[in-house]
Amino acid sequence: MTAGATGTVLRVRDLAVGVRDTDLVLVDAFDIARGERVGLIGESGSGKSLTALAVMGLLDEGLQVSGSVRLAGVDHDLVGADDRRMARVRGRHVAMVFQEPMTALNPTMRVGDQVAETMLLHGSRGSRSAARSAAVDLLRQVHIPDPEQAARAYPHQLSGGQRQRVVIAIALANDPALLVCDEPTTALDVTVQAQVLDVLVSGAAARGAALLFITHDLAVVATVCQRVLVMYGGHVVEAGTVQDVFTRPRHPYTAGLLAASDLDAVDDRGRLRTIAGTVPAAGHFPDGCVFRNRCPNAQDDCAVAPPWTGPHQASGYACHHPVPAVAEVGRG
Amino acid sequence: MAEPTTDVLPAVSVRDVTRTYRRPRPAPFRPAPLVAALRGVSLDVAPGQRFGIVGESGSGKSTLLRIIAALERPTSGTVHVEGNDITALPERRLRGLRQRLQLVFQDPMGSLDPRMRVGDIVAEPLVAQGHAAPRDRVAELLQAVGLSADAANRYPHQFSGGQRQRISIARALAPRPHILVADEPVSALDVSVRAQVLNLVADLVDELSLTLVFVSHDLSVVRRVCDTVAVMHAGEVVETGSTSQVYDDPQHDYTKRLVSSIPTLRRALAGVTARDLAAGAAGEVA
Ligand SMILES: Nc1ncnc2c1ncn2[C@@H]1O[C@H](COP(=O)(O)OP(=O)(O)OP(=O)(O)O)[C@@H](O)[C@H]1O
Ligand SMILES: Nc1ncnc2c1ncn2[C@@H]1O[C@H](COP(=O)(O)OP(=O)(O)OP(=O)(O)O)[C@@H](O)[C@H]1O
Ligand SMILES: [Mg+2]
Ligand SMILES: [Mg+2]
Repeated sequence: MTAGATGTVLRVRDLAVGVRDTDLVLVDAFDIARGERVGLIGESGSGKSLTALAVMGLLDEGLQVSGSVRLAGVDHDLVGADDRRMARVRGRHVAMVFQEPMTALNPTMRVGDQVAETMLLHGSRGSRSAARSAAVDLLRQVHIPDPEQAARAYPHQLSGGQRQRVVIAIALANDPALLVCDEPTTALDVTVQAQVLDVLVSGAAARGAALLFITHDLAVVATVCQRVLVMYGGHVVEAGTVQDVFTRPRHPYTAGLLAASDLDAVDDRGRLRTIAGTVPAAGHFPDGCVFRNRCPNAQDDCAVAPPWTGPHQASGYACHHPVPAVAEVGRG
Repeated sequence: MAEPTTDVLPAVSVRDVTRTYRRPRPAPFRPAPLVAALRGVSLDVAPGQRFGIVGESGSGKSTLLRIIAALERPTSGTVHVEGNDITALPERRLRGLRQRLQLVFQDPMGSLDPRMRVGDIVAEPLVAQGHAAPRDRVAELLQAVGLSADAANRYPHQFSGGQRQRISIARALAPRPHILVADEPVSALDVSVRAQVLNLVADLVDELSLTLVFVSHDLSVVRRVCDTVAVMHAGEVVETGSTSQVYDDPQHDYTKRLVSSIPTLRRALAGVTARDLAAGAAGEVA
């Protein structure tokens, strides 16, 4: 695709994921630039994982998918690509890190061999012995203590944080252009989380790999990412730089998420701020603006889906009655 | 809110508690390895106090809670709940304790029987104690946790994660306990739902004058709900104090590492990176 030349690694257009007559994800457009770190946030059931799985070509058989997902260095669309073609893309051009490392590891195989195997599979190392020593190198890069020894360990002999580092090593093994991470540190202690995030960011940076980083934790996104996509009801409702979106949110949903996650800010009763109601089950979001049944700003015109407001897909929001821009409030 | 004073009987008093587990033998003729889950824990929770326990995975938090709730016995040491030595009580005499002290767990789905209607789940502790479970008490409990009375006729899978945690809180409140013990009650929840459940816990603790013992691996959550915190590390309490003091001025090396590895929005927006957090976690002074 031409995107490679312009520095775009991932280009998603009109991505729709559905089951029978229910839409689960309807993403108009987003791009990720080479080496860029992009966060994907939103409450449980917003469609974050489905979006990630669509990018990886790992959606359940029963789901329908349409639209376009293009990846730099891959000469075909990932949407509709068959398993054989996707197997060549995954682990080579794009790799994924899930919340639970054991789902990605083979319990009966030494971890060093698992790292080496990924390289051999995609031909990025010529010989088994070259791959073996490269694997030990990688384990060292993700800060696994005593990597020669650890390479001979089985997954169950490592701690949760060490296992997640092995998964990251496997993900980085073939210098992919894009790393998709779905809640990679949610199961880890904060001290271990800090180390794993560091390894992830520095490992990606060393290879110029971009990051699509999914989490519930806004503070983690702010620490790791440069840009953020806010998702709700299967739609990207706001996008922008972390600084802009987290300090001057325009979509009332983003503002609600920020307020609810701020454990230092309370109302006059000393209670945390919350978003009214709960996330509807798939298929039960209102038509028009998906957030309008929970939105403090909603009015009659919200029954019509709001258009994207903003210079481009990378920055803007979809809302008829946005939170006033801070600058306006300040001047007004 | 009652302040801890020396002449008030503690709600919970833990003295020199140890708990050793035996792991499965690695090989037939090798000795079974021992795990010291608790290595001499002592703490006092005053009536009305909101007492947090934080620490990393495996530090012994759940083991301690199970012992406080008499779901498990310590290897040595004593636990007094409102003056009664529960470690000495035989199983059949624990009913009184169950009435005074109730537990809420992390995973609401795992602790709610999927085949029971919510009304029966909430009434369960009452029935277990031989009380009849009046429908209006169940309705009152559901209302107290922000659910409508008709929730009683539905099943757990028909509720969201946050609603299920409300159901387990309603069940815990049924026998009118004085002490609510919660093990990671919001760790599986979204930030928005987390805020709702934390507010609910704070409201109930205030309205019902409960003593709260709240376990979390997340010190920022504990800081929100608790006035006092004990930090556990490898089976020991390494630091205890007011939550603000422990958070703002940690003394023990482990607490320092814990505090400096917590990502916060404010610090991130001020430029703190993953590298900085990792340095903090490793004990390198930031
Ligand atoms: N295979 C499937 N079949 C039908 N519905 C599905 C399927 N997978 C997901 N869904 C539904 O699609 C919606 C979005 O799910 P998704 O897993 O993408 O959410 P998420 O944002 O990742 O949430 P979480 O934060 O809980 O991981 C949810 O309502 C979910 O129940
Ligand atoms: N029934 C058991 N048999 C053997 N070992 C156990 C048992 N229960 C706990 N342990 C061990 O005791 C230690 C303390 O476990 P505990 O569950 O109390 O930790 P925790 O602080 O609650 O951790 P987490 O944050 O992961 O819930 C761990 O090493 C654990 O493996
Ligand atoms: Mg998900
Ligand atoms: Mg536990």
